[in-house]
Amino acid sequence: MIVAELKPLDEIVETISQFKKVFVVACGGCVSICLTGGARNADALARDLSHPRHYRSLPPVFETTTIQRQCEKDFVKAFLTIPSDADAILSLACGAGVQTVAEVVGALPVIPALNTSFLGSLDAPGIWREKCQGCGNCLLAYTGGICPVSRCAKRLLNGPCGGSKNGKCEIGDDTDCAWHLIIDRLKALGRLDEYEKLFPLKDWSSDRGKGPRVLGFDKTRT
Amino acid sequence: MSYFVVNDKCNGCLSCVENCPASALSYRDANGKRTILHNMARCVRCANCWRVCPQGAIEFQHFLENQWDEVIELDLVYCSVCGEPLYTSRQEDTLFGNTGRALEHLCPKHKTADFAARQALSLKKQRGIREIPYDRR
Repeated sequence: MIVAELKPLDEIVETISQFKKVFVVACGGCVSICLTGGARNADALARDLSHPRHYRSLPPVFETTTIQRQCEKDFVKAFLTIPSDADAILSLACGAGVQTVAEVVGALPVIPALNTSFLGSLDAPGIWREKCQGCGNCLLAYTGGICPVSRCAKRLLNGPCGGSKNGKCEIGDDTDCAWHLIIDRLKALGRLDEYEKLFPLKDWSSDRGKGPRVLGFDKTRT
Repeated sequence: MSYFVVNDKCNGCLSCVENCPASALSYRDANGKRTILHNMARCVRCANCWRVCPQGAIEFQHFLENQWDEVIELDLVYCSVCGEPLYTSRQEDTLFGNTGRALEHLCPKHKTADFAARQALSLKKQRGIREIPYDRR
């Protein structure tokens, strides 16, 4: 799931203070689930941003709505109704959603309210952890289901760097050493022979090496 | 059909309502009763309600394993040879409206067989071969 966090309020205020009416668009997808971009967050953000203390002149007027998935162009085109007096759109979607809305609305400025953080999963209520970097070449079959690309600070593919201590990474922040986790897991599975395999140099062209990626049957269609 | 099901443990504390990120849960206090309300169109099925419910009252499995809702019932057209369902009569009307050609009620298999038979017949005609009925052979 895509995980995002709310931008600092001052940063959002700076980007919207010049407008009279701001249309706040929540997303009913991933960011709703990670408690940052849903209907409830949109209402709360509009309420916070309406406070006159943020502005030198009158604060903008806010109107909120939610669209189920802001990242689907035809869906946004068909179901997003923008008030005629709106000067700008404040989108609470991930980067993909913000760009989709911007593409659809054309003339209005679309401002992001969230910082898209990572692809992650819920570890405990309210805690999301990065688990995938979308590298385009999944190695989880050989690493006990623990991703060294996203969970090792150095993205090492052939064992630990040697800097970890008591299973924790040398970067600190109580980060687990991914390779410590992988070895423990392979041991528990009785598959330590997987650890002995050497991974060749990873082909990063399936990552970002070849520029923006497109998936689908007809890549020429836009 | 309600997908949001709570069991008898629900005490109406509203923690689900207060923690729903999609504002899909609400409540109504009227006539001495509290009613918990759920809006399926707003619900993103994040399971936050189930996660936060202190009573364990939300039976989230109904969102995950439910029954099929009947959406619409339409008349079918069958293959005139084998009886295999082909398409709906309304779909046939649409195709007729678009193409102006009536469809033969044949499944792909029998359509091929029919086509092959007709082609063979036209070839015979071209070559001047007369079809001899079985009883005169």
